[in-house]
Amino acid sequence: MKTDDHTSPCSSEGHAPACADLGVSRREFLLSAGKSIAIVSLASLPGYTLAQEAGQKAKLAKYPRERIGGIPDLETGVPVTLQYPYDSVNCLLVKLGVPGGGGVGPDDDIVCFTTICTHMGGPLEGTYKPEHQVLGACPMHLTTFDLTRHGMVVSGHATESLPQIMLETEGDDIYGAGVMGLIYGYGSNLEREI
Amino acid sequence: MPDQADVESPKDTTGVFARDHVPLPPADAEVLTTACEYCTIACGYKAFRWPVGTQGGESAAENAFGIDFPSHEVMRPWVSPSQHNIVRHQGKPHHVVIVPDHDASVVNPKGNHSIRGGTLAQKCFNPQTPTRDRLLYPQIRVRGTLMPVSWDLALSVMADISKWIIEKYGEHAWAMKTYSYEYFENTYAITKLVNQSIGTPAFSPHDKPSATNDAVGLDDAGINSFSACYEDWGMCDVAVMSGTDPYETKTTLFTSWLMEGANPSKKLIFVTPHRTMGVEYGLRNGGVWLPIIPGTDTALHLALARIVIENGWQDQEFIDTWVAKPWEVNSGYGRGTRNTGWQWRTTWGTWQSDWEDYKKFILAQEESKLEVASKITGLDAKDIMRAAEIMAKPREDGSRPKTSFMLEKGNYWSNNYMNTASFASLALICGAGNRPGQVISRGGGHQRGMMKADGGSGYLSPEKYPGRRKKSLNLDRWVIDGQAKFCWVIGTTWIPAMLASQDLADALHGLTRLNANQVRRLDRKVIVETFKKRILSGGMVLVDSDIYPVEPLNTQLADIVLPAACWGEADYARCNSERRLRLYSKIYDAPGDTKPDWWAIKEFAQRMGFGKDGSYDWKDSNDVFEEAGRFGRKGVLNYHPLVTEAQSRGVRAHDLLRDYGTTGIQTPIRKVNGDLVGTKRLHDPTIKLEELEGDTVHMKWLYSFGTHSGKAVLLKTPWKFSGWIDFYNAVKPRKEKNEIWITNGRVNETWQSGFDDLRKPYLQQRWPYPFICINTEDAKTFGIEGGDFVEAYNDTVYIQTGQPTGVLSDDLTFTSLMKRGHIKISDGQFTAVAIVSDAIRPGVAMANFNFPGAPANSVCHAVPDPVTNNYRYKLGRGRLSKVGESPFKNSFTSMSLKPRPII
Repeated sequence: MKTDDHTSPCSSEGHAPACADLGVSRREFLLSAGKSIAIVSLASLPGYTLAQEAGQKAKLAKYPRERIGGIPDLETGVPVTLQYPYDSVNCLLVKLGVPGGGGVGPDDDIVCFTTICTHMGGPLEGTYKPEHQVLGACPMHLTTFDLTRHGMVVSGHATESLPQIMLETEGDDIYGAGVMGLIYGYGSNLEREI
Repeated sequence: MPDQADVESPKDTTGVFARDHVPLPPADAEVLTTACEYCTIACGYKAFRWPVGTQGGESAAENAFGIDFPSHEVMRPWVSPSQHNIVRHQGKPHHVVIVPDHDASVVNPKGNHSIRGGTLAQKCFNPQTPTRDRLLYPQIRVRGTLMPVSWDLALSVMADISKWIIEKYGEHAWAMKTYSYEYFENTYAITKLVNQSIGTPAFSPHDKPSATNDAVGLDDAGINSFSACYEDWGMCDVAVMSGTDPYETKTTLFTSWLMEGANPSKKLIFVTPHRTMGVEYGLRNGGVWLPIIPGTDTALHLALARIVIENGWQDQEFIDTWVAKPWEVNSGYGRGTRNTGWQWRTTWGTWQSDWEDYKKFILAQEESKLEVASKITGLDAKDIMRAAEIMAKPREDGSRPKTSFMLEKGNYWSNNYMNTASFASLALICGAGNRPGQVISRGGGHQRGMMKADGGSGYLSPEKYPGRRKKSLNLDRWVIDGQAKFCWVIGTTWIPAMLASQDLADALHGLTRLNANQVRRLDRKVIVETFKKRILSGGMVLVDSDIYPVEPLNTQLADIVLPAACWGEADYARCNSERRLRLYSKIYDAPGDTKPDWWAIKEFAQRMGFGKDGSYDWKDSNDVFEEAGRFGRKGVLNYHPLVTEAQSRGVRAHDLLRDYGTTGIQTPIRKVNGDLVGTKRLHDPTIKLEELEGDTVHMKWLYSFGTHSGKAVLLKTPWKFSGWIDFYNAVKPRKEKNEIWITNGRVNETWQSGFDDLRKPYLQQRWPYPFICINTEDAKTFGIEGGDFVEAYNDTVYIQTGQPTGVLSDDLTFTSLMKRGHIKISDGQFTAVAIVSDAIRPGVAMANFNFPGAPANSVCHAVPDPVTNNYRYKLGRGRLSKVGESPFKNSFTSMSLKPRPII
């Protein structure tokens, strides 16, 4: 049994939050609504001090930073399969042809998502629809995901967006630097040996 | 939600937030069974609850699922972050994880689920989440603002003014508008008060203006609307779905039974103007899409029946055995001789038929000719022909396809009586109605949670059918006309769910807020005197029980607002659309001073003096459940044998039901050799009726059709029936005004869950604002692009006024009502975000039904079907204009505007 690393509970007997918890643990990412991605470090959160986490044993793990592709190698609408953050997690790297949330590259249109459906784990490989920038439908229950909007469900049953691989670029190189959203089948994306 | 990082794009209204971990339930977490709160299918769920401070681990021994995480297999137990929350249990903070039941073998096998049920944990009250706007204590409106009061003051005022009203004006003046499905405990308590204690005819359920049936034509054919079971939809060879796509509205019925089931290669035929995901799937698997012009289904059914008859494709053996012969029909329309629904509807000689007569009728109809029907319905004749072949043409070896027929609101909410009657007849001649995989049934909307108390005062209704037969009271009209002096609304939005919604809202404003007599201080006597003056000056007192603020009902209008305890906050029971009864367990403490609605009814009844004989002395919801069982004994939801069995074992009926877990038991429940036995399918002649035992009730419709003779009745539906055609011609879009049909519908992500969706962060992001789906050609005509805010406007909305009484047969037709001054003309509008695509037929736009703040029903006509008193909800019209660009047009974070039917 592990100690809770989650948000501290609030008193719901009263009608207002009794604690001003930020609602975010050290392992969570915040993403701006625009094209740029901000991986917010613990210390940068206003009012958030390590003392508040005292007594908790949460690991200070982080995602690997790995080169996953090159900008010139990508053809618009043609996805490339890769694995991130682990060899068992299939992802799709694609140049959408239109700007997308979290998109990188000169046109802000290069995005990367896991291809395991967040409904019940169906495989999404080979289902990319370049004309709509949509991934799916999942062969199991027909869920589709909008890759221009951070992998949001267009239609269907998944209760989370498709986990998005946070990308960074250095020159023509594209790096995977984190995952936004819980990968299907995981209790924690980071809860394993790296 | 946490603070958002800087927003770079000015177009974006919200940020994106996604967790990358979730607490797993520890191995010793408490497990509670329940079923989904939302759509009619009611998937089985498990809630894991454990105290804050611990959590499970990733190895199999350390978590409640007994599996190692991460798991790399499909359909294994998994907790998505939306399935976790922190709640209070016995006053202490607890984790709760609510996940589909992966052990389920019925309804949602292997834990299949929808996005709605899959986010149930997010509906649990937690003041850190958007659920913080829950109504937590009773309130009374003082000079426009709701002020907190005690339950005692609120209920005492309600009782004082109710007694005065009933004494002065009679019980007609006391009205109730309520959900029909929110658990047997609540609906029984409400109807006991309404039917037995008050005795008022001013009662209507959430989805209708009066207390009527839904698919009335099925009823008159002898078919129960919920006769099928999900296995039937799984095993059929062909499923005909009229006015519905179960993918959008009955998720796991589609994904577990229609896509899978015993026959995964079945063919799907869809009748709907909207090319939805289910339609797309059907087309890719050999099915047919009939993109019908709204309201014209009857003409399609006539044409299909003609093709079947002309080719001799009917199931003659079934017809000879199960379709009523002339004398059986004439014996009171096949339903008994007097005092039945069909008789009140007074359609003498118009509808009822036998096989020979029906054949003659079909062949004599101009509109049953393929080319004529093709023109009326806007369908390609080849598609109609192909649909007929798939559903009815025998194979080369002479065997027949097993075809099942499903209907829902696109069918019965556009031409209520005729569409359902003609659909039933078509299905019957194809051999459907009482066999495995060959059924006729509604798909279902809400779950089946109405347990009606005996009694009722429908005879007091001022409305009469021609021949002066009983017709239920139209509550909308009754209230607008100022006849209701007190109205208690329970758990329904009422105004946007009914038609000409903005006019209804205006009328309610006038009766309540715009009246000069407003409460000025929280003193019982002063409040009651104020309300008396209000009523004497033509106004009304409005009470609303709900869980959230509801626009405009309790935010702007209601004088008294009562906070309810909902799903997960008390033990409740109800059935799904295959009559499967489950216990919906209490999971966490009801927040604040919220109470189950049965408790509010009990307290009110006692203040009214109705409880002197002890008849409202319920201690808990199980007491109500056990009492209510007796009143369902002759119905399809009969669970009384479970109650008596529990009593004989000395246990509570709720606890016995709890033992059945997410599997539950299908009603009507019978007792066979001492065991409780469920009923899979109704009208099923293979049901062997055992000896009567204990409280078992044998009803004829268990093994034959629900008619006098036990045989089904074919119904004739002439397209030009005077109760339909003049209304239809009047409400069609007018070319000279550049109008199109503006119908309304649902999407998978927000169906039956709208009250919670805006409080679930993920669903709020998906659908922050209602959509209107517009065909590409129409969008061009109106100068609209996807993502634009659009106004839909109908400058001629017809509204029936008064309580017209029929004497002669045509007295209630649209033309006659118009002549007699019973139709007023108003207008209506709403706004929505345009989704432009070819997924809808040209000339038809589909708006998001009943989305808070955007009453799409405002452009629809509040003139009920004269045969059934049901509204024609789907027949809105108007023109569209661009308001401007919505913030969602270029957003990266909210409201995907992508087309939906992509496979």
